[in-house]
Amino acid sequence: MSEYDLHSLILACDFRVDDVDQMWKWLNKHREPLASIGAHHVVLYTSIWEPGRVLVTIGIRQAGSIRDVLRSPAIFEWFNISGADDIPPIFGGEVVEKIDLDGPSPEGHVGRVVVGVMASVDDVASVMDKVHDGLERFKSGGVRKIWVYQALDDGREVMILQEIDDELSARQWIDHPDAAAEWMSGAGFGAYPTQFVGRFAHLMSIGERV
Amino acid sequence: MFVCLCTGTTSHVVNEVVANGAKTSKQIADACGAGGDCGRCRRTLRAMIEAHYAGRASEAVSR
Repeated sequence: MSEYDLHSLILACDFRVDDVDQMWKWLNKHREPLASIGAHHVVLYTSIWEPGRVLVTIGIRQAGSIRDVLRSPAIFEWFNISGADDIPPIFGGEVVEKIDLDGPSPEGHVGRVVVGVMASVDDVASVMDKVHDGLERFKSGGVRKIWVYQALDDGREVMILQEIDDELSARQWIDHPDAAAEWMSGAGFGAYPTQFVGRFAHLMSIGERV
Repeated sequence: MFVCLCTGTTSHVVNEVVANGAKTSKQIADACGAGGDCGRCRRTLRAMIEAHYAGRASEAVSR
């Protein structure tokens, strides 16, 4: 996960694309529509184990009307160019906490593995208490960052991005997550995608609103 | 999760509709509008229906 400025509002989407590079080039050429919907950063993660699967997060300036953003032609055109016949569910939320267990890393840092999970939990505050109680265990399991977002439309829904040392540690974490990481069991159920395991691929900064 | 971008319908709303008896994406569209426009979210709607009934089935088995 890159160390771009903390943004509080985020849209996130996990889906499959025909050609990741082509999609990223298209996004770069279409910064203006992204700026028009209030986007300030776009981050692309690519799956390690599933070619074509991506996790995209878009930092948004204003929560004002997420529905208007999602309905905008720019979003639909993006899915069209990606070759996605089905439009995947989109997480819209705000940051709860970004926990860094290993000190800041330079912008564009690559190498570590990102595990992304969208899921429903019983109580976000309780989850955060358990996470804080278990930080040393997380760290010894190879977890280096934990970014927690809570959905705007559902107070029990979270997206949690964890940066993990390497692929082996990520696999061990997925197979045997810490008991405090209750979100790990909620992935892949109903509207939620399965656990995403990938690497940081690209970061795009978008200028001030035009 | 926003599952239907055309109508801005969330998974929370769709789950309620399914819990109230919707068993097809058309019934969901009739109840809350989701999936009734471009239809590109229907796969997600079907996954939510399946998850709901799978959950109920496992609850019944565990009783």
